[in-house]
Amino acid sequence: MIKKLFDWLKQPLGLIAVGIVFLAVFSAAAYGLWTTQQAPEQPVPGFPHKTHVAFGIQCLYCHPGASKGPAAGLPSQAKCWACHNQIVKTRDSALLAPLKDAVLSGQSLEWVPVAIVPDFVQFNHRAHIAAGKNCEDCHGDVSQMGIYENPQVMNMGWCLNCHIETAGDDQEKLIKLADCGTCHY
Amino acid sequence: MTNAIPEVKLAEEHVGKWGMVINQDICTGCQACVAACAMENNITFVGEEDSGYGRSMHWIRIERFWEGEYPEVKMTPNQPMLCQQCGSAPCEPVCPAFATVHSTAESLNLQVYNRCVGTRYCANNCPYQVRSFNWRDYERPEPLPNQFNPDVTVRRRGVMEKCTFCIQRIHKAQDEAKSEGREVMDGEFTTACAQACPATAITFGRTDDPQSLVSQLAHKGHGVKHLEELGTLPSVTYFKGG
Amino acid sequence: MTEQFSRRDFLKLAGLGAATTAILTGCGPASRYVKREPYQQMPEYNSVGQSTYYATTCRECAAGCGLVVRTYQGRALKTEGNANHPLNLGKTCARGQATLHGLYNPDRVQAPSTGDWDSAIQTVADALKNYKPGEVAFLMGMAPDHLFDLVSDLANATGMNGPVRYGALGMFEARATLSKAAENLFGQAGLPWFDLGGAQVVFSFGANFLETWLSPLPYTRGFVGLREGETKLRGTFVQFEARMSATGAKADHWVPVRPGTEGLVALAIGKLASELRGGAMPRVFSSVNPAEVAESAGVELEALHHLAEMFVNFNVLAIPGGAALGQSNGLEIAEAVLALNALSDNFGKPGGVYLSALAPNQTETSRPASAEEMAAFVEKMKSGAIKALFVHGVNPVFELPAALGFKDALANVELFSFATFPDETAAEAKHVFPDHHGLESWGYQRVATGVSLPVLSGAQPVVSPFYDTRATADVLIAAAKLAGGKFAEALPFADEVEFIQSKVGALMSEASGSFSAADAATFMAYFQQYGGWFKNADALIAPDGSGVLNGNVKAAEPEFAGEGEFFFVPFVSPTLAEAGANKPWLQELPDPTTTVMWNTWVEINPETAHELGLQNDDMVRIVSEAGEVEAYVYLYPAIRPDTIAMPFGQGHTAYGRYAEKRGANPADLFGVHFNEAGDLAFGGMKVKVEKVRAAQSGVGLARLESRIGVYGEALGEEH
Repeated sequence: MIKKLFDWLKQPLGLIAVGIVFLAVFSAAAYGLWTTQQAPEQPVPGFPHKTHVAFGIQCLYCHPGASKGPAAGLPSQAKCWACHNQIVKTRDSALLAPLKDAVLSGQSLEWVPVAIVPDFVQFNHRAHIAAGKNCEDCHGDVSQMGIYENPQVMNMGWCLNCHIETAGDDQEKLIKLADCGTCHY
Repeated sequence: MTNAIPEVKLAEEHVGKWGMVINQDICTGCQACVAACAMENNITFVGEEDSGYGRSMHWIRIERFWEGEYPEVKMTPNQPMLCQQCGSAPCEPVCPAFATVHSTAESLNLQVYNRCVGTRYCANNCPYQVRSFNWRDYERPEPLPNQFNPDVTVRRRGVMEKCTFCIQRIHKAQDEAKSEGREVMDGEFTTACAQACPATAITFGRTDDPQSLVSQLAHKGHGVKHLEELGTLPSVTYFKGG
Repeated sequence: MTEQFSRRDFLKLAGLGAATTAILTGCGPASRYVKREPYQQMPEYNSVGQSTYYATTCRECAAGCGLVVRTYQGRALKTEGNANHPLNLGKTCARGQATLHGLYNPDRVQAPSTGDWDSAIQTVADALKNYKPGEVAFLMGMAPDHLFDLVSDLANATGMNGPVRYGALGMFEARATLSKAAENLFGQAGLPWFDLGGAQVVFSFGANFLETWLSPLPYTRGFVGLREGETKLRGTFVQFEARMSATGAKADHWVPVRPGTEGLVALAIGKLASELRGGAMPRVFSSVNPAEVAESAGVELEALHHLAEMFVNFNVLAIPGGAALGQSNGLEIAEAVLALNALSDNFGKPGGVYLSALAPNQTETSRPASAEEMAAFVEKMKSGAIKALFVHGVNPVFELPAALGFKDALANVELFSFATFPDETAAEAKHVFPDHHGLESWGYQRVATGVSLPVLSGAQPVVSPFYDTRATADVLIAAAKLAGGKFAEALPFADEVEFIQSKVGALMSEASGSFSAADAATFMAYFQQYGGWFKNADALIAPDGSGVLNGNVKAAEPEFAGEGEFFFVPFVSPTLAEAGANKPWLQELPDPTTTVMWNTWVEINPETAHELGLQNDDMVRIVSEAGEVEAYVYLYPAIRPDTIAMPFGQGHTAYGRYAEKRGANPADLFGVHFNEAGDLAFGGMKVKVEKVRAAQSGVGLARLESRIGVYGEALGEEH
């Protein structure tokens, strides 16, 4: 029976069928991959990073952890509301209803992290900032973004390329920056 | 290109970077180091059945042996056994996936979990039997995972793991020192086992710094490095005492 | 189906399927779908992505060690010792490390049995009001002290029974015996403190001071001092006990004396040493005959001579403890061993015997109830004198010997349990009003022994309560308010914190403390920040040992109840102790001497086992006059052939998934016999050993040694 199936698949019609199935699977996979690279839904729909940047707010104002330790962190809701509460336009804006509700009800907003690395990678913001990297070197031009999107795939090749580039001819630095144990433990 | 056999160094010549001195004479076998290690490094417990099969995941264990027969019986000094962070580690060359690699920067034996495919060759080749393998995804029911240390990877089934000399603490101390523009000071931080040890039987520090406490203790004399005749260049020195 | 479905075809199809699955499901890290909640309002002392550290006090036992707990975004991650705490100086034991497995244990009591706290408080208030004061009793554990003080205040003001404290650890340590022995010898009761660090030679008669005894961390530090002193030679350590404990395993000489003869051996050594020194024979040693003692204890007279010689050249510190005191003649043993110290004249001197310092807000020494006092307590429950029983910090159904009949007596009382975990007592209780875990709690603990300074160890919550639990002190304060009248007057506090502040604030005027402050609120803030307060002056009490040598200590032979042929040595599991069984990582810690995990074993000398036809992992039944238990055999090379031993800590019938139905409880074997100080003679019996079934493949004790078993069968029977 299985032989019959394979024989049939070798017919021109069968080949076309195989082609169609292959295409379908491939496009589904491609679509799957594509979706993982899209910005997810966030609790405040269309959260405009660019507006905040345009007002001259520094990245570190809302994500102060980046200069001190591993995680950049999210601002507490009280911090968001401290500003937005004072701006008439945002205090009663329908767009900010989720924030206002959360603050008033004592619930937490559930943000979806976008710039993330897998559990087996130990990333530390502080070391990168201390090395003279700017936020936009990895996170792109946030002043043009609404909801944050990664400007590139954050995989190991991308990390390592930069590490090797940074080390340059400094062998000692290279040993440290290309060491598996620098990120994986 | 010639296939040169790497030159085997004598332990006296091997300096390494991080090392440990363990004083067996004062180790009481209390297991505080074992518990501290498990809590620091997200080590899973495996339950009675798997423990019985020898699948428990202790990164550090306290060995003891019996000598003689009743009434002249004696327990040998408690011997905390952990990864010796060999300078020339038998586990490293046998890994087909390069998951067990040597860190040149820290002079440690690394276990890169995301590379590990679970062949277990490294554990078979480890003369100290200090590597443990995740035979299953062991259940840690909610809310136990709240205790997980975010600085350490939570391992899954099929991955080998072992003592890291608390590399997360090494990195943290180095990072802090760097942010303050200085070198890491001796005794500024230590491993989880050494920090907990009620008898202060474990000392950890820089072996390449002759002034450090661990270097001074290691050169006190009578120290033993286990199985150093195999040319493994271990970083842990034991004092039997007594 | 006639045609063959070949392996090759199968692989082709399977391969295609696998590839499709991989492509469709393997896209991107699953953590993409993680949600993160920010703080609603970030505490000012917190910083994004940074750990916060809080000082508090460990509640795994009553010693009162200081902890510093690392917390991260509201979760407790790791406990470390508080380096500034004079008791433990930055160190922790295994139980202190595993306390997080209690905090985040999957089996905690999550809410009051009444459903909500308002009705719970009403229930307590009704009980306080409706029962006569004399009918209400509190049974409390040895920690925490602030709650004990609160209940004491309540009881004093209202005429209720004062709180009774008990703990299995206290029973195995025989604290009443130690205190009584001190009273008889020195004319002053108190918990002795032995300065191991300053000693040259230590003779320990059963004291398991490196395990769970009294305050294991300071004693471990003392042991290190004995071995490692900078200015002196490595000290010698001799242990006298029938079964080699983890402490005895560290000894230079292990002397396996017959259980119950420790006191006689001490007196005999004293006599031999006095003879060697010459002069008049001290009265205290005069009555004993060393040759007879050697015979009775099962040791060589030669060996006693050799040990006595140590007194000629060295200061010897003799310590009574552990199984030696749990004998019918336990008090005599304690006195005889303490008297031996008179030869070194070390009372109140470095390397000698002291009485423990009183804690800052303590005026007289206190100890938990002895087993005899607990028996009287149970009688009061049976007779109906006690009608409402409040239980906190102790699990008497498990921790008291079954033979005392506590569980049956519960039928006569309305039982309120404030248990954090669903333990055996909570299972019997009509009302379960769960207290917070220790790491979620306020409080203080008086350091009873282990340090020369008077220390009051402070506790504060390091995380907010995980479940709908409430501090028992808060429940009592609220209930007292509801009950009104003298109850409300007795506890005029808004909450637990205010009560603690009222107690701690009194220390503000004390001179020479570890810190001072101008006002109570600041003092309290420091108290939390430093994890306690201590006086800077040594307060160890030097006992008056002048009359010891010419005193009188009875040279009593022990008595044993029961028909069996074996002496029985129950000992507290060094890793589990009385309440560790529900913490999975404590279960998976190998026992220091046997390396057994997750179970209970019976230690039998290999010779004896051979005679009985027993092997490792055979199941045996141990029968005493009071009961029987079953456990696996472990061939233990370091135990007298006429003795068997069993660890205490397992055998729970409740207490969560990791503890339940695991191992056996040797306390089920204990008969009701007391020594003269009223402590339980838990070693004062003889037991029978019956084989239940032979070892079966795949069933038996999980031991570290079977680690080799990964690569084949276990190494063999011996190791």
